[in-house]
Amino acid sequence: MAATPRMELEKMSVEHLRGLKEQVDMEVNLLQDSLNNLRSANARLEIASAALQDLSVRPQGKKMLVPLTASLYVPGKLDDSEKVLVDVGTGYFIEKTMVEGKDYCERKIALLKSNYDQLLEVTAKKRSIADEAGAILQAKLKHLAPSQ
Amino acid sequence: MSAVKELTRDLENKANDFRKLEKDIQKNQQVKKKYTIQLGENELVLKELDLLNEDTNVYKLIGPVLVKQDLAEANANVRKRIEYISAELKRLDGTLQDLQEKLNSKQESIAKLQQRIQTLQAGKAKA
Repeated sequence: MAATPRMELEKMSVEHLRGLKEQVDMEVNLLQDSLNNLRSANARLEIASAALQDLSVRPQGKKMLVPLTASLYVPGKLDDSEKVLVDVGTGYFIEKTMVEGKDYCERKIALLKSNYDQLLEVTAKKRSIADEAGAILQAKLKHLAPSQ
Repeated sequence: MSAVKELTRDLENKANDFRKLEKDIQKNQQVKKKYTIQLGENELVLKELDLLNEDTNVYKLIGPVLVKQDLAEANANVRKRIEYISAELKRLDGTLQDLQEKLNSKQESIAKLQQRIQTLQAGKAKA
């Protein structure tokens, strides 16, 4: 299974191989960036989910500090925690019940995880191509200058 | 002698055109990327809206204001946006193909010019 692409790489010239390796290396970097973005997005969702979980067990009327800016908090009282507003994207917010809100978080986390797994597979394949190209490139270069 | 000069000038012009085409292609791809991301986001929103029953409250963030929206209206808006973005993406695809073709033909004519210049210079060297 890995034999066929390896034969293709063997046939290429050093220049061609070098260019290909550079291109695939760049692709791997881009994919790695995307992977990191997915991971941080997932982390944020987990935090949101945990916050929801916490809110749901607080009684109504509980005193709390509400953030108005990053450095300004205002004392307030917890209103009905049965309803939550969910940011679904492009400026739309949907009023959901606490249960639905938790469900939304779970769904999004699952979606991101499956995207992450798919991307991981693709990245691994690309990385192995880059590694093979690199190895064959080294071999060819050695072959061209054996006396050195 | 002046023939080589003229051809070289022509080559320079063509090289500039080539670089401009490359830049246009890059810009095109950036815009396409942006639209593709927006399309994905809007489709996610549509999916969420479809899951709701009729009496759920939907709000839209317009500037600093959260405005209550009618679910049907929100649905229609998101759908229209998806249609618009898809149409734009298609148009950009067509433009991209067009630019690629121009790029390829420019590359060919540059190669031909370079060959002509080389033969002319070789001929002069002999003479």
